[in-house]
Amino acid sequence: MIDPNVPIPPPTIPPTIPPPPIPPIPPFGRPDSAPGDQPEEREPIAGVLAVAEAMLRQPRRVMYQLQQPGSGRLIAAMLAVAILCLGIYGLIVGSFSGGMQLWAAPAKIVSGLLGAAFICLPSLYIFTCLSGSQARLREVIGYVAGVLLLIGILLVGFAPVAWIFSQSTQSLAWMGFLHLLFWFIASIFGLRFLGGGFAHAKARTNAGLYVWILIFLLTSLQMMTALRPLIGKADTFLPREKMFFVTHWYHNVDAESETKH
Amino acid sequence: MMIHSGMLDVRKTGALLRGETGCIDTWIRQPRVGNLAVQLIWIVVGMGCYGAAMGAWRDSLQALYTALKFPLIILLTTFGNILINAMLAPLLGLNITFRQCLTAILTSGSLSAAILGAFSPLIAFMVWNAPPLTAAPSATSDLTHDAILLAHVLIIAFAGTVANLRLSQWLTQLGGSTAITRRVLFAWLAGNLFLGSQLSWILRPFVGLPGLPVEFIRPNALQGNFYETVFQLCAHLIFPGHGK
Repeated sequence: MIDPNVPIPPPTIPPTIPPPPIPPIPPFGRPDSAPGDQPEEREPIAGVLAVAEAMLRQPRRVMYQLQQPGSGRLIAAMLAVAILCLGIYGLIVGSFSGGMQLWAAPAKIVSGLLGAAFICLPSLYIFTCLSGSQARLREVIGYVAGVLLLIGILLVGFAPVAWIFSQSTQSLAWMGFLHLLFWFIASIFGLRFLGGGFAHAKARTNAGLYVWILIFLLTSLQMMTALRPLIGKADTFLPREKMFFVTHWYHNVDAESETKH
Repeated sequence: MMIHSGMLDVRKTGALLRGETGCIDTWIRQPRVGNLAVQLIWIVVGMGCYGAAMGAWRDSLQALYTALKFPLIILLTTFGNILINAMLAPLLGLNITFRQCLTAILTSGSLSAAILGAFSPLIAFMVWNAPPLTAAPSATSDLTHDAILLAHVLIIAFAGTVANLRLSQWLTQLGGSTAITRRVLFAWLAGNLFLGSQLSWILRPFVGLPGLPVEFIRPNALQGNFYETVFQLCAHLIFPGHGK
């Protein structure tokens, strides 16, 4: 029975308890623990889509799986996704000129980046061994596949932006600069994955890695120049004249400013 | 523990503006298709009202065009960059899904749309009191033009700042780290600014010039881009005689 003389206390409002934050993704090269220390990092990666997602969300899981026997299938899946992604971005690059470039640009970008990685792979293995790292050749191949995969995935992310710009300008130099900018940003993240792998392979020094990164970037740039044109049109599939990539850029910018004036 | 409804509706505008983390956290953590639709409606209505008020100074048809184009810029920028933004978030340390990323960015867009929508009557009143936009310049029309332009800059900057501050708070609540939030927000802002500037360039004019006809987009909209034009202007400023 409620006594009317006793005041009823106001209902208590339960406090709002915010849910716990989502645990952050540990950095690639966390020195205090090795890949595979966490149970979720030891889960096998099955499927092509899972490879792409693991590269973005659980790079240490990929690193751990690359150290396991039978990692060849994972490396093949990584390369397959990388080829697909680079092909998609190549299509966007080719859409600037259309025609033959719609198939030539994807073919050149895929073969160019794979070729640059293949050319640079032996030197990476040498630098890895010289730095005292315990990584095996298959692991090193896996890290390079990871670099290509991350570059490809991020370039697909940039593809809508690149397409909008390619439809709203006639400037070859500008589009060249934009694609280089996107490739450079994607490469930073790709090479960060390689750095993480290097850190976990007990390398005594990173000097070799930094030299190799420079070699890889220069080789990729020269490879794309050797396979030109990627953006503009040409009579032949491959160029007749050999040229250093800096000279090629200079010629393009100079030709465009001459056309404008 | 207070249970927040995961459904977003117009009655939650206050919670959105106050930045009630519990409420917004639920929307972002458990994204729903219904919420996405409501956010799109907020953006279309809020930005549309502001756009209409902006374009009304030139012509009623321009008001309609700008009302369509203003939300279009936000939506095209969001959807054009969503892939790369969703990829950059985990790479920079924030473990959120594609849908959570889309919801967070659209929630921030809804907030700026709500602010702009609230200011649209004020802009409409300013425009209604302003002398008509004429080709012949005069001291009065120049002053009015400057005042209206300044009002637009201040209101849009205010809406953008508040929306990004709130987005930063939500991301910190989600990820628990200010450093990660700063990195992610900087990357998102850089990408959105880069694409948004170009889309604004393509979809110009928003107010229009008295000497030119009222049109949805200029005939030369897809010739040249924003950054080329800025570069050429800078080149002309630094080397005035070059190329003339």
